Amino acid sequence: MTWFRAALGAAMLFACLDQPVLATTQNVIFNGTITPTCTLVIATNGTMTVSPDLQSLSSHNSGGSAGTVTLTTTGGVSLSVDPVTTTTVPSADVTSTTWTPTYSAAGTHSIVETGSATSIGTPGADLVSVNLAGTKGGSNRFASGNYQATVTLRCE
Amino acid sequence: MKHARILTTALAIGLAPIAAEAQSMSPMRGEVNSFSDAFAVRIFPANPYDRKIRVEIHVYDQDFQPVDARISPKVFQLASQASRPVLVVVPFDGAPERKVRICTESIPFPNQQTQIRAQICGKFFGRRKS
Repeated sequence: MTWFRAALGAAMLFACLDQPVLATTQNVIFNGTITPTCTLVIATNGTMTVSPDLQSLSSHNSGGSAGTVTLTTTGGVSLSVDPVTTTTVPSADVTSTTWTPTYSAAGTHSIVETGSATSIGTPGADLVSVNLAGTKGGSNRFASGNYQATVTLRCE
Repeated sequence: MKHARILTTALAIGLAPIAAEAQSMSPMRGEVNSFSDAFAVRIFPANPYDRKIRVEIHVYDQDFQPVDARISPKVFQLASQASRPVLVVVPFDGAPERKVRICTESIPFPNQQTQIRAQICGKFFGRRKS
């Protein structure tokens, strides 16, 4: 009887081994949504130098340098600069100055130097150069001393 | 009223991204339905620099005029590579809807001749439900 049970069990096990294994699959869905995103990282501030006629204080002048900012975006944003409102001038400078901020970009996007807003529709990374020029008209001249101005670079 | 505020805040939290690291400000777009006289948005300014920076949060209308919103916190120091939540509560001021810009501003390198202020602005639309 014991021998019969063992033989029956072995026969059933062998029959089961002969059956194909049934495999099942299920899809795992991943969703992700990225809203418009912008990152500005200021690398360097700019330096302004005065022109020989003392009527221009600009990062474009000889010896001056633009500020540099790294822009990384998903696209769907706008880049712009604000009019300059925050300046510090020497006490000897009592005449008005017209400040003109501009920017340009190179990299994924190419933006020629402008003071207007630029729409960026596609993703990418760029190096943005920010320039500032102060000018005086008529017989007015820049005075000796320290000048400081703040340019606001906006991504929205 | 208290429940409405809680609901408004809950809606705002729904705007929050799951991960906000390595962004200057997130989210940058949003629509909020509110049952109270104000709507709330939770934003996440982040510091991508390798040094601590001072961050200011400002709220402007469509013409870049300041909006008297409740911002918590309004000014703070943010550690390198860090992000933190900021709650902004914008009053409708009697209007049925309101569009505002919420801006994260910082001057990472102050006290230089030509400073650059980085400003990241998000556009948010609040709609008042009765």
